[in-house]
This record gives sequence, C-alpha cells and structure tokens, in this order.
Amino acid sequence: MIPFLARHEWRVLTASAVVQWAIAIFGMALLAAAGLGAARAARDGRSFDAFAQRTSHQLARPASSRADVIANEKGWLAVMPPAPLGALAVGQSDVYPGYLKVTARNLDAVATGDQIEHPLAVASGHFDAAFVVLFLYPLLILAVSFDLTATERDRGTLRMVLAQPVRLGDVVIGKMIARAVMLALPVILIPVVVTLATADFSATAEAAALRTSLPIWILAVLAYGSIWHGIALLVNSRGWNAAANALVLAGLWLIFAIVGPASTNLLIAIWYPMPSRVEAAVQARAATQDATVQGSRQLGQFLQDHPTSANVGQDGMRQFAMLQAARDKQIADRLQAVEATFDAQLQRQQRLASWLSVLSPTMVAQGVLLEAAGTSASRFDHFRAEARAFQQRWKAYFEPFVLDAAALTTAQLEAAPAFTYTEAPVSATLARTAGPIVAMGAVGLFLLWAGLRAYRGYAL
Amino acid sequence: MIAGRIGPAAPQRSAGGSAALAIAVKDATETWRDGRFRWAAGLLLVLLVAAMAGGVQHQSHIARQHADAQLAERDAWLDKGDMNPHAAAHYGAFVFKPVQPLSAIDPGLDPFLGVFVFLEAHKQQLARHRPIEDASPTRRLGLLTPATAALLLLPLLVVSLTFSSFAGERDQGTLRPLLALGIGRASLLAGKALGALLPLLLVIVPAAVIGAVFVWLNAPADPDAAVGARAVGLLALYVAHAVIWTGLGLAVSARARSQATALVVLLALWFGNAFVMPPVAMAIAKRVAPSPSAIEFAAAIEDEKLTWPTWDERVDGVIERFLDGEFESTLAPANVEVVALLESEAEETALYDRHFARLFEGYAHQTRAYERAGVMAPTLAARVLSMALAGTDDLHDRAFSAAAAQYRTRMLSTLNSELAQSGRLNSFDYVRGRDLWEKVPPFDYAVPTAWWAVSQRSWSVVVLGGWLAVICGAAVWGVSSMRLE
Repeated sequence: MIPFLARHEWRVLTASAVVQWAIAIFGMALLAAAGLGAARAARDGRSFDAFAQRTSHQLARPASSRADVIANEKGWLAVMPPAPLGALAVGQSDVYPGYLKVTARNLDAVATGDQIEHPLAVASGHFDAAFVVLFLYPLLILAVSFDLTATERDRGTLRMVLAQPVRLGDVVIGKMIARAVMLALPVILIPVVVTLATADFSATAEAAALRTSLPIWILAVLAYGSIWHGIALLVNSRGWNAAANALVLAGLWLIFAIVGPASTNLLIAIWYPMPSRVEAAVQARAATQDATVQGSRQLGQFLQDHPTSANVGQDGMRQFAMLQAARDKQIADRLQAVEATFDAQLQRQQRLASWLSVLSPTMVAQGVLLEAAGTSASRFDHFRAEARAFQQRWKAYFEPFVLDAAALTTAQLEAAPAFTYTEAPVSATLARTAGPIVAMGAVGLFLLWAGLRAYRGYAL
Repeated sequence: MIAGRIGPAAPQRSAGGSAALAIAVKDATETWRDGRFRWAAGLLLVLLVAAMAGGVQHQSHIARQHADAQLAERDAWLDKGDMNPHAAAHYGAFVFKPVQPLSAIDPGLDPFLGVFVFLEAHKQQLARHRPIEDASPTRRLGLLTPATAALLLLPLLVVSLTFSSFAGERDQGTLRPLLALGIGRASLLAGKALGALLPLLLVIVPAAVIGAVFVWLNAPADPDAAVGARAVGLLALYVAHAVIWTGLGLAVSARARSQATALVVLLALWFGNAFVMPPVAMAIAKRVAPSPSAIEFAAAIEDEKLTWPTWDERVDGVIERFLDGEFESTLAPANVEVVALLESEAEETALYDRHFARLFEGYAHQTRAYERAGVMAPTLAARVLSMALAGTDDLHDRAFSAAAAQYRTRMLSTLNSELAQSGRLNSFDYVRGRDLWEKVPPFDYAVPTAWWAVSQRSWSVVVLGGWLAVICGAAVWGVSSMRLE
C-alpha cells in the first residue's frame, strides 16, 4: 500500500507548479555550485601538477651547490595534493596552506607558508555544494513539507481519502517518502555526477580516496536530511494550519541553521577564547632572546647570514656551521616549549568548543561534510605532520654536509630525500565521521518515529 | 497620474496626514498586541544586546593584549643588548595591529586578517596569524555580532511586519472599504510605513542606547581614537538599511497576489541578500580579477630571486665595479660588502614592494567588483559600508600594512646608514647598543578618519542612497497601481 501511496503523492507533487519551481531552483543552485567547484578543483589540480615537481627540477640544476644554501635556504617545497572531494566543499582550504617550504634550519618553516586569499572571500564563504546542502536543502525540505496534511484536512479531502481502506499513518509515510526521494535525488546525484565526470582517475590513490569519501558524503547528506524531514513531520503532526506550520518551520530553520551556529560561535568566543597568538609571539621572543643575542655575539651576525669562504676560509666556514647549528638547536628547544604550551591550550579550547556544536545539526553536518571532502582542518594537520617528519629527514641528510661546509655533487643531490604526501588511513576519516553520521541518522529516525507516533492523535 | 493621485489639494493633505497617523497608530498597536511580535522583537533585542556585550568584551580583551604586546616589544627592542646593526635588522621588530573600538559592533574582516607583522631585513611579510586559523571550524558558519543582527536579523523582523500590510488587507477584503473612506493612497502608504517603523523603534532605540553605553564604558585603549563620527555613521547606516527593507516589504505587499506570496517573495529576497549574494559576488569578483594562489605568489617571488647573482657574485661584482672606478673615494675597498648589502637590500625591498603591490591591487580590484554587486543587493552595500565605518575592512588593513612597511623601511635605513658610515660591517666586533636602537622611534599608527573611510566607499554610499530612492519610488508606484481585491 505504501509504495502505491508514495507513487500517487509523487504524481501530485510533480504536477504542482510551485514544487516544479522549487526543484528547478534547487537543481540550478546545485549545478552552479558543483560546476564552480569542478572548475576550482581543476585549477587546484593544475597548480599541484605544476609545483609538486618544482624542487626536484630545481635541484637537478642548482644555482649553488653549497650544502648550507641548499639545505637551509632552498629547501623543499612540500605540496599537498588536492582533496578527494575538494570540488564539493572549499572548507578550510582557503585558511590553511596546501604547501609548506621545508628547510633544515628555518625554525618556523612549517608555519611560514600562509595561505593567501582575499579576506573578504574567506569572510563571505563560498557557494559550493556544502553550502547548498547545509542551508538550501533543509529550506527546500521544509518548503515542500510544511503542508503535509493541513490543507487537505481543512478542505475535508483528507476525510474522504481515509474513507478508503488506508490508514492515516500509511498516507503520511507515502507523502514523506515521495518528498524525501524527490529532494534526495538531486542533492545526491547532481554533485556526485559532476564530480565523477570531472575527476581525474588516472591516479589510483585518488580513485581509492574517492571510493571512501563519496559514500561518507552521501550518507552524511542523507542523515542530515532525515533530521529536517523529521522536524517537518513532527511540526505537521501538531495539527496546526498550513500557514502556522510554515511560520514555525521557518523559525526552526532560522534557529538551527543560522542563529544557533552564530550564537554558539559567540559563546565559544566568550567562554573558550583561543589562546592569544600575540602573547605567544611575545613569549617566544623572550624565550629566545638570550640565545639570539648570545649567538650573534659568537658568530658575528652578519657572517651568519652572509658567510663566504672568501672572507673566513673553509675552516672558518666549518666553525661557523657548528656554532650556527648549536645556536639553532638552543633556540628550537626553547621555542618548542612555548609552542607546545600554546598548542596544548589551543587543542583544549577547541575540544571544549566542539562539544557546543551538537546544539545544531548544521554545525555537526558541516564538520562531517568537510571531513568527507578532505578540506577539514584534520587533513591539513596531517599534511603538516608529514612535512614536519620530512623536515627531520631533510635535516638529517644534509647536516653532515652542512657541518663540513661542503659542496654537493650531483649524485649527493639526487640522493636527497624527496617529499611525497601519503593520505591519512581511511580508518582515521571513518573514525571521525562515523559517530556524527550515526548520531544524525539516529536523531533523524527518532524525530520521524516521534512524528509518526504523534500523527496517531491527529484531529481530522 | 501618480502625482495626480497622491498630490491632492492642500486641505486634503492635512486630512490625509491625520489619516496616515491613525493608520500608523492602529497598525502599531495591533503589532504590539501580537504576542508573536513581542517574542520576536524581544528575542532580537536579547540577541543584539548579547552580541554587543560579547563583542565589547572580546574587543577590549584583544585591544589590551595588543597594546601590552606592543609595549613589551618596544622594551625587548631597546634591551636586546649590543649587536651588529645588521644583526639588529635580522632581530627585527613586531608591530601589532591596533584593534578598533567599533570592531565590537562589526568585527568585519578582522578575524580573517593577520594580527601582527614581523619586520625584518631582506624579507617583507604579510601580517601573520589570522584568528580564523585557530578558531573552531564551526566559526565558518558565521558569528553573531551586532552588525549581523542589524543587517540580517532586523530585516527579517521588518519582513514579518510588512508582508501583510496591503496584501493582508486585500486578502481580508478590507482594502477597498479603507480607500472608500476617502483616505488617499499616499496617506495609506505613509500610515503603513509608519505603522511598521514605530514597532521597530522598540528594538532600535534600546539597542542603540545600550550599544552607546557599552562602547562608551569600554573606553578605547587609544583615547585619541575618534569613535563618535563612526558610531553615528553606523547607526544611521543600520536605520537606513531597515528603512530600505520596510519600503521593499511594502512594495512587495502592495503588488503580491496574496500575503503568502508576499511572504515567500520577501523571504527569498532576504535569503538571496543575506546568504547567496556575498559568495556569488565574490566568485564573480574573482573571475573579473583573478588573484594568485599562495603557492603561485611565493613561487613568482622565488623565481625572480633565482635570476639574481649569488652573494659571492654580488660581492665580486662590487669589487669589479670598484676597480673600474665606479665609486667615489669615500667608500674604501673594505666596504664592498656593505655596498653589496645595501644594494641587495634595496633590490629586495623593491621586489617585495612590487609583488605585494600587485597582489593588493588585485584584491582592491576584487573588492571593487564585490562592491559593484551592491547594485543587486542592498544588504551587500550596507555590509561593505558597515565594515568601513567600523574600521575593520581591507582598506583599513591596507592602511595599517602600509604604515608597517613604511616603518620597516625607516628602521632598516636607520640601521643600514649606520653601517655605511661605520664601514665596519664585516667585523666580528663591530657592535652598537641602546643609543642606536633608540634612534628607531616606536611604531605609531594613526587610524584614518571616518570621512576617509566613507569617501573610499563612495560607490556603496551612492548605491545605498539609490536603493533608498528606488525603493521609496517602488513603494509609491506599487501602492498607486495596486489591485484592491
């Protein structure tokens, strides 16, 4: 019976001009977002191809073969490949850098590669598939569901329907299924098809990443949608008229999708302020002051920055390299203490803040979608960790040459470590997304169940 | 025809005036008696006050941090002990961005801009550590600030007050009897407009008073900062924006088929203005004026540097030129490295200046394109102006960065000229102390005036004025041509 009712409802819905308009606008928004995303992803891909091999090409014909110049100044440009579903969500990729310049000496090499983006663009957000899913999809769900049975009841046609051998519960389920399918089809298919059509499957790693990311994305979208369908059903079951339903649902959308996240962020800013980078910079300055001043006295700071074998000779260069390494180590140790304190504080605040995000399904869904797309902070953290590990290898390889103030042969240059990015294991992504998806799905199912249950008492 | 309808003879006008007042009072009273309005207005007021309290608390906290850090940095600079002047240039200086008092009302782009610049020899850097990098990821969904409450939530309240103004009367069949009483359409429009604006004052006036008290109590770290003109400008902007939405609501209500249609159209316009237009305008702006990605920008600078001579070659070049008799006798051969250093420093400064100037020109171009989109969405123009008045937009950031770059040039030239005069750069024991460090004055940045901020955004001022005029015209036209049933 339910499939029959759902098919009937589908025919009724698709014949409605308002629904046709709504679906057309929704589809166009999805197409535009996916198209913009595909163009952006293609650009990122080209940029990665252009720069990933940059350092090895440059090392093949170095301007200088001095070990310290190559290890400490040239360094290696570590580039992160574009995110598997970067076309669907810009996420944090306009905030965190996708490349880092790694040198043996540069103490904050891993922090200097700031992302450049017009601040107005970061502030304005992006019109991507994630935006359409997070804000427009719920709005559309509510728009097609606010009048599930109210007008039919008020006109008396619902009574006539129920005079047939059908139960109200089945009618409502049929209506819900038709609506859920009608919106789920475009919201899933359009971005996925555009992504698959434009994705580059030549690299097996990318194909593998897509195989896990896409299902996570789809499940997250469906789970998020189920919450909004549940909210709509629950409000409809209260028995108000259509206008009241519309008003209440619009209010709930405003609260959960807009005001809730904005207020939560205000609470986070007040209750859990992130530790101050400004104070950390001053502390770092104070912590390294002695080492810097003492070091410069020993070295003659000018020589440290511009030594030549002409002015100090080979032995002088060796002595210089030794002094410099000792000073660098001293500064690095002290900086590390300041940075470790800061990072611990930052992580604690972010952990506390993340609890508040359960207040709004939009905030939870945002986290999961970015995680699936590969544009969340965690992928950038992983990249940074990989770059840091690479820095150790780079330093270890060059240190003996640098301390010897040596010039490198072509063979020695070719044997230098090269950075290749390895994606974090799938299990890590799964571990971060499974919980929120299951939670969203459970809340959605609960709301649907509660709505259906409440419909038992629906006054005709 | 319109003039004929709305501009009747003088005696009737005064009758129209009292009729308009009567309509306004009736509408306002009805609105006030509606529990839903009281709830919505109360909630908006609570959100506004909470946003102001949070904003002020956050602002004063950050402002104090930056001011303290700047003092600590100055002490560190002066007390760093004796060292070679060029080593002092490598030691560098931090300058911290002063936080504007009105960032409590509209933080604008502050969370997306670096909070300090490190000034050092050879390298010019962008401001570092944008707060957004450390923020929790949900922060990207927006922050509740007084500006967002005034520019995004207040229009919603306006929509709820105006969508049924005419469409509701028409749906109920009371519009024709109302006009049959002899009330002119102009009076009707004036009455409805006033009837919607009066209840709004119940939110705007207390919010403005509380906001003024908050800002006043939160005395800025810099007492010279001129807040008054900017604050008044902000209030005027928010009120003008609310009036635009009132006019829009009335125009749509007059022309819509039913009040449900009016509501849907207005909500769609609101959603488009508030959420769709900013990213879409930015996407268009980027297409119009593409900017390089971080990696492209860094690589372009590096590529250019690759074509430069190495340090050894540079020194050899200076010696050669010296032998060719290119230099005046005041520079002894022992100074070749000083010459090479000063030359490379000048070249590097020029290189960075050129690249940064191009980058920021691109950004300015993007901002202009973004601003142009205000023609399609009044809220966008209001947002641009709000940030400008609060002193938290990219223009103010540019002004600060330019001051920092200028300070860097002055600092380096003070230190380098000392070296050039001493002629003892290449020596382990040439060190200078506090007397030289004191010659570099502390960093002082004068915030541009409110007038400057507004004049830089004259396009948005004109657009918003245009919107005000067009919307008023549209409301008059809508009412004069509306169907009665």
